[in-house]
Amino acid sequence: MKGRRRPRLSFVWLQACSGCEISLLNSGERLPDLLNKVEIVYFPLLMDRKCGGEGEFDLPEADVGFVSGSVSSDEHLTLLYALRRRCRTLVSFGTCATHGGIPALRNRWSAEATLETVFPGTPGQPTLPAEVPALLDRVYSVDEKVRVDFCLPGCPPHPETIAAVIETLVTGEQPRLPGKSVCETCPTIRTGEMHRTVRRFLNNAEYNSEEPVERMRCLLEQGLLCMGPVTVGGCGGPATPLCVQARVPCRGCYGPVRSEGNQLLDMLNVLASHGVDHRSIVDRQSLLRFSGAHGLLRSVRKTEGVVLMSEKGNKKSS
Amino acid sequence: MTQVITIHPVTRIEGNARIDIQLDAAGEVCDARVGISSLRGFEQFVVGLPAEEIPRIVTRICGICPWMHHLAAAKAVDACFGASLPPAGHLLRELCQVLAHIHDKILHFFFLGAPDFLIERDADYSVRNIMGLVQQQPELAARVVRMRQLGQVMLERLAGKAIHPVAAVAGGFARPLGKSERESLYLDGQQLLDFACFALEFAKKEVFPQFLEVFAPVGAITTGFLGTVDQYGHLRLYDGTLRLMHPDGRVEEFAAPAYEQVLAEEVVTWSTAKVVYAGSWGEGLSLDPASPKGVYRVNTLARINVCDQIATPRAQVELEEFRSRFGRPAQHSLLYHWARLIELVYACERVLELLGDERIVDPVVRAPVTPQAGRGVGHVEAPRGTLIHDYTTDENGCITRANLIVGTTHNIAPMNVSVRRTAASCIQAGRVDDEILNRIEMAVRAYDP
Amino acid sequence: MKKDPLIIAFCCNWCSYAAADLAGVSRLQYPGSIRIIRVMCSGMVHPDMVLHALQKGADGVIIAGCHLGECHYIRGNEIALARAEILVETLEDLGWESDRLQIVHVSSSESERLVQAFCDMHKRLEALDQTDFAAVEADE
Repeated sequence: MKGRRRPRLSFVWLQACSGCEISLLNSGERLPDLLNKVEIVYFPLLMDRKCGGEGEFDLPEADVGFVSGSVSSDEHLTLLYALRRRCRTLVSFGTCATHGGIPALRNRWSAEATLETVFPGTPGQPTLPAEVPALLDRVYSVDEKVRVDFCLPGCPPHPETIAAVIETLVTGEQPRLPGKSVCETCPTIRTGEMHRTVRRFLNNAEYNSEEPVERMRCLLEQGLLCMGPVTVGGCGGPATPLCVQARVPCRGCYGPVRSEGNQLLDMLNVLASHGVDHRSIVDRQSLLRFSGAHGLLRSVRKTEGVVLMSEKGNKKSS
Repeated sequence: MTQVITIHPVTRIEGNARIDIQLDAAGEVCDARVGISSLRGFEQFVVGLPAEEIPRIVTRICGICPWMHHLAAAKAVDACFGASLPPAGHLLRELCQVLAHIHDKILHFFFLGAPDFLIERDADYSVRNIMGLVQQQPELAARVVRMRQLGQVMLERLAGKAIHPVAAVAGGFARPLGKSERESLYLDGQQLLDFACFALEFAKKEVFPQFLEVFAPVGAITTGFLGTVDQYGHLRLYDGTLRLMHPDGRVEEFAAPAYEQVLAEEVVTWSTAKVVYAGSWGEGLSLDPASPKGVYRVNTLARINVCDQIATPRAQVELEEFRSRFGRPAQHSLLYHWARLIELVYACERVLELLGDERIVDPVVRAPVTPQAGRGVGHVEAPRGTLIHDYTTDENGCITRANLIVGTTHNIAPMNVSVRRTAASCIQAGRVDDEILNRIEMAVRAYDP
Repeated sequence: MKKDPLIIAFCCNWCSYAAADLAGVSRLQYPGSIRIIRVMCSGMVHPDMVLHALQKGADGVIIAGCHLGECHYIRGNEIALARAEILVETLEDLGWESDRLQIVHVSSSESERLVQAFCDMHKRLEALDQTDFAAVEADE
């Protein structure tokens, strides 16, 4: 330990909803203690340090930088580059940063199509806000653009996990996250018998409301599309996965079990291996709703020759 | 030679916003703008998805008030599918909503707003925040942190996930509330109510007397207001009729599905959020601080202004005191904070009222729904103002069109007016310092965007 | 410049790998750009492996297993077939032509059948890449 300086933390958000930051604040009794242990140098939700306006961002130096949200506009990109330069360890914080998250659902359309839908245009009015940062062609995860030292997925990550990760990182150690699937932490009853189809969540699962969740039959076996098998666990901390606590099937918000996994393909594989008809899924592509970055979700106009070619070009160079 | 002063990012608010203040050759403010700079395109990417999935996707619009998007979406999908909910479904949803309001109001007043009031005014930015508050007033800070946490923990017990919830489903709620759970929630709810009353007394003693005068220029604008009331004119957060109040006090009421006939949207070049204004007044939109046109406000102050009374006793007493001091409608922007704490008291009282309702423990919490073609508009009062979700579905129950008006969007116009006004009165001869810039930000912060 | 299409062939130990072995012993000719990977059962080829092969530069993937009903592990090749079905659809979602994947069933004695599958795939990929080049030229 050199010196007595408190470790400096920087929190930057890109295309984010601030859920990750709120989750940090939910660490409760641990929070004041945590805030005393570190020095926060940049955190727009909580403090007034500015980073300047045009082009270049002036971020303070930090030991650990947390970046939440996905990379969606050219301003996000500049901010992210600035953060990478100014911090020693960079953490992508939350599923948007690690896998694109919900904002990456936009990757099913071109940026132009999105703008046309959001700003349909009325005669006599400006059609687009011209003085705001330009959208990138698609939504990227943080690691697609800069080197990342640690990935902390979750939408949002569990408060205890965030606190533990910060406490470990500031000692200079590399934290470890559980690498098991949601199913491994789910206490519901599994028999191995599956429904032949999956149904939409239009009525509640079958369970006795007097009994604890441990007595409920596995939701996937009940024929509900539960992404537990292909999603990394940890959302409930040591307890039952949060959605299952609410008796609702998992939708995969922590991203794939292995960070480079493909939730769409893996989930269909689970269904196929158990003889479940995957055609009963209404919108297959939205199985990637939390992990559409890394080129997994693509513009629906892909069949047009030119687009197809550029994708193929990408493929060859990677 | 003109000069532009940029505040970027606006801090201690939720989201990405910036302020650009334009000075003329003499250093006087000639224009000022608040813009929201990030665009996600929810209207685009929900298209094609099964409608019943939407409530658990749109939560990601905002991590501070995910419950509001969750519920507005659930209500819109109910309407698309023609579902009629069992009573417990509505009661549980409303219980979650008021609990979410409680956490939000504590967060906003103490974590985001209070550093401006509770930390000495010339303090450096590195101290003027919740971390500074933890250092300077550890007991108060610890209590605030604990109470906000309690609200979140209650939500988790009730609905599994507190941030980005999943428990409100098309047709009702995903799980019933057990009798023993209800009792423990009731005890916690009483603690929250005690804290809410303490917070309001504390603010009336320590905060408002010193600051309302000092910061008068922050708020001196005159606008209309929009909020939700029930058939008796009582304040409502979960459902009811929208009531739009003209600056002169006259009101018009409309049901949420008719919003397009009353409210109009305009694209501006400097913000990805469209500007919404009162089209039904027939005066167009003008952001000129001297005589704003079509501008109304939403959020706490607006709701407190448009309602005739509040149905819970303690909040009603506070409302009466508020009205006797500031009249109706009260226009001062910093009164948003006062109104926020009155609503906090209401929300806590409403938690106890809902938990006291026998129907809330009914095991039937959801009516099965059938996907169908339709259009549905769902609305709730979010902490940041009236939130409207409007969906159209095809015969498979998949979304074909979506339009969202979020709380902050209504307030873009008045925020611009307020900031320009504040900037004009604080900046003279081109002189700015940190305190002045922070005061301009306070004008934004009051709206809790 | 035109490149020989690279094909990864996952062959199961019990039938199709034996068939490939036999093809070699019988001196049957097939394109040199085919890379055979021996797996114990076609049912152990996870869809991720197919995607991985494509992402790493393969032009096509063949999964070769025993005839249905003759799996050494009883049901492995049925699982492989179910997986191939979802793969064909998902490859389109993920931006690849579904033609880049093929599943074949061969017994250990059917070396001609396996070689035929190799050659067909090779020809198909050549045609596929030809159209792509044509598209680029038209674009320029």
